[in-house]
Amino acid sequence: MEDMYVKPGNQERGWNDPPQFSYGLQMSRTPQRTLLNKRAAPPVSGERHVPSATPPVHPGKPPGFMATPPPPAGPIRSQKEADRSQSERTPEMEAVMSVMKSALMSCRQTVKGQICNDVEKRLRLLEDSWTSGRLSLPVQRRMDTLAEELKSGRWDAADEIHRSLMVDHVTEVSQWMVGVKRLIAETRNLSPQHLELFLR
Amino acid sequence: MATFADYITQNEDRDGVRFSWNVWPSSRLEATRMVVPVAALFTPLKERPDLPPIQYEPVLCSRATCRAVLNPLCQVDYRAKLWACNFCYQRNQRGPQMPLIFLYVVDTCMEDEDLQALKESLQMSLSLLPPTALVGLITFGRMVQVHELGCEGISKSYVFRGTKDLNAKQLQEMLGLAKPAANQARGPQTPQQPLSNRFLQPVQKIDMNLTDLLGELQRDPWPVTQGKRPLRSLGVALSIAVGLLECTFPNTGARIMSFIGGPATQGPGMVVGDELKTPIRSWHDIEKDNAKFMKKATKHYEALANRASTNGHIIDLYACALDQTGLLEMKCCANYTGGYMVMADSFNTSLFKQTFQRVFTKDVQGSFKMAFGATLEVKMSREVKLSGAIGPCVSLHAKGTCVSENEIGTGGTCQWKICGLDANTTLALYFEVVNQHNAPIPQGGRGAIQFVTQYQHSSGQRRIRVTTTARNWADAQTQIQNISASFDQEAAAILMARLAVYRAETEEGPDVLRWLDRQLIRLVQCRRPSPSTLSPDESSYYRHQFNRQDLTQALIMVQPLLYAYSFNGPPEPVLLDSSSILPDRILLMDTFFQILIYHGETVSQWRKAGYQDLPEYENFKQLLQAPVDDAQELLHTRFPMPRYIDTEHGGSQARFLLSKVNPSQTHNNMFSWGQDSGAPILTDDVSLQVFMDHLKKLAVSSAA
Repeated sequence: MEDMYVKPGNQERGWNDPPQFSYGLQMSRTPQRTLLNKRAAPPVSGERHVPSATPPVHPGKPPGFMATPPPPAGPIRSQKEADRSQSERTPEMEAVMSVMKSALMSCRQTVKGQICNDVEKRLRLLEDSWTSGRLSLPVQRRMDTLAEELKSGRWDAADEIHRSLMVDHVTEVSQWMVGVKRLIAETRNLSPQHLELFLR
Repeated sequence: MATFADYITQNEDRDGVRFSWNVWPSSRLEATRMVVPVAALFTPLKERPDLPPIQYEPVLCSRATCRAVLNPLCQVDYRAKLWACNFCYQRNQRGPQMPLIFLYVVDTCMEDEDLQALKESLQMSLSLLPPTALVGLITFGRMVQVHELGCEGISKSYVFRGTKDLNAKQLQEMLGLAKPAANQARGPQTPQQPLSNRFLQPVQKIDMNLTDLLGELQRDPWPVTQGKRPLRSLGVALSIAVGLLECTFPNTGARIMSFIGGPATQGPGMVVGDELKTPIRSWHDIEKDNAKFMKKATKHYEALANRASTNGHIIDLYACALDQTGLLEMKCCANYTGGYMVMADSFNTSLFKQTFQRVFTKDVQGSFKMAFGATLEVKMSREVKLSGAIGPCVSLHAKGTCVSENEIGTGGTCQWKICGLDANTTLALYFEVVNQHNAPIPQGGRGAIQFVTQYQHSSGQRRIRVTTTARNWADAQTQIQNISASFDQEAAAILMARLAVYRAETEEGPDVLRWLDRQLIRLVQCRRPSPSTLSPDESSYYRHQFNRQDLTQALIMVQPLLYAYSFNGPPEPVLLDSSSILPDRILLMDTFFQILIYHGETVSQWRKAGYQDLPEYENFKQLLQAPVDDAQELLHTRFPMPRYIDTEHGGSQARFLLSKVNPSQTHNNMFSWGQDSGAPILTDDVSLQVFMDHLKKLAVSSAA
């Protein structure tokens, strides 16, 4: 999945900056007892263990292929690999924006006008960013999924996607994402009859 | 038959308690001969996913001077419906759900790139906060600005001079805040004032406006001339933050999160002047009594820390700069209140960003792991008294019969306040055996301790967790081998080390150091005029972490872990010694503050030759990946995020590994703990072992 990745830290600003995990990767991890907690027993006599081999000048080759199959690879994959495994469908901006606008319209009946206008302002920013090509493909894809979840009334799932975008792609989305966040929050609180129109 | 090691592990898993001695000498005289005091490391909120919160109040003993809670150690007569302590139910209405409060105090004196990264992190955090949480914003540079969070278009702020401190009353007047109710009780009465004000508003209401406000923040506009530092009024900014919460939300869970890009250079709490040619104080300056601003600044922040902790408010310090920022002077803010201290090079680093994200980690039930406003009360069998506690707490000055006159750490009380804590926060508690020599073993043969932790869960609900535990008494005259076998050397090492760090910070002179081996002295040695290259801020940071992490993490700091990966078998722990560095091996070292992967000479050459890319050398590729995967396991859970070093034989970063395994080579190394020249080459493992054996021998021989 393209939202599960590790990328290196910012070595220019912080020496030995640790790698950065995506939101999806951090959330999916099941808590495991760390296995690295043992220490070696010190030698019984005072004898120091001398390294047995001097480093060879020509290292030769590593031992060849083992007969037993290797253990399965961990969940960490490179960004490139993850992109390739994602479905090839290109997200449609029109479809996403129509869901947003329709939700906003349902909200206008009961939610304060000022708030709706603020949300609308940010939806326009989103649309501009998309049409002018400033949104990367992963962000577009996730917005597509978010719109789907919103349309289906899966509020928590939509909220989770908004969070993952804020964590992983804050630079791209911070200008307008809070509007989407508010839209989800207000839409889910609509009364059943107002909601019905939107979810249809 | 289960071993003591199993017993210790089981008890830790269940109760979150590790004792230095698991069988207690039954008289005061013998206890003092043991050298290592009877003491415990206690993690109040140790994760117990199997423990559901019980939806009724705990049962208390009715004796006014007792008030102990019904627990599995009590004798219960079910037929007569009696238990061995008289009891009464105490009516305790659930208080109103108080919202969590997050007050951001933001430095604007930094480079644009850093400020942009910080702004984005703050915007991101708004998506991680619960919708009902209250949030506020104070920014500072030369002036201090308290921002009004309204929804009505024009954003307003109150501007204060950064040179003049304000007390709570003055602040209240200048900000036009209503007086809080005279007795802000958590009881059945509802609070008198509205649950928000112009400066602290619910996230769900102002998230859009605050996001914009943050987005528009500019670097501090006051020009900085050549050779000068920016004028940073951190002291007044924190003072205003503390005062604002004091006026409006006393006794409610709140975090003051301060984001600091450099040292305070103006006003109360300044730690250095604005001339770049005058550097910030070093240990050398402090030894020579040449640290001009230190005492006054420390006093300023201590006063703030005391006010905040009295009100149950937490102060976090996120210090991100290449130079020191004054953590030495400000450390009490985090240490008294249980706040976080994070040290990074810049806000535009993964270390800061991910550490900050992790503050908002949720548990399996979807609540924040952070807890607020905790009070810890300890009750003891009458043969034992409390000497004190060392950890991120303050005293509640509760004198009881179980309080000892001999104080250790924060003593003279049986109750402490921990304003901010999470599932890892661990206190060290020190006890004193008071039973007289030759007095009979107390009835029942066991001494008991009860820990009662009341706190505000992140859902807003107040909760109480009670842990009751006991250990056998033994007559040291006849059963010394039982006592000896019960020794937990890991717990003892950390308990002693915390004691040493505490004493070194509060007492002058070498007396403190006399009774500790050099291994543990190295943690505190920075105060001595030695060629230690740790800065005062770095020492404060390391000690802060040491004094609040649980035993396993603290032990890593004292005695780092080293694992070896090779074709010869599965990964195995190896000695922290230069003999462990072999050419055909990869080493993974964990010092808590750094995670380092070191490729031996041969492995490094294979890697450069690209064997891992050839299909028939798939196993080599796996060998390279194994330590990376294990390191990621560590990186996923550790708070704060450590540095991450990937290096090899001959690499410049390899010095961090070499300094740990070859202490004699550490003269100019930044991350050694400081070492006198000419010291014999001892590995960390051997000296820790020697230290513990020494203590044990002392314990046995003195009782003979």
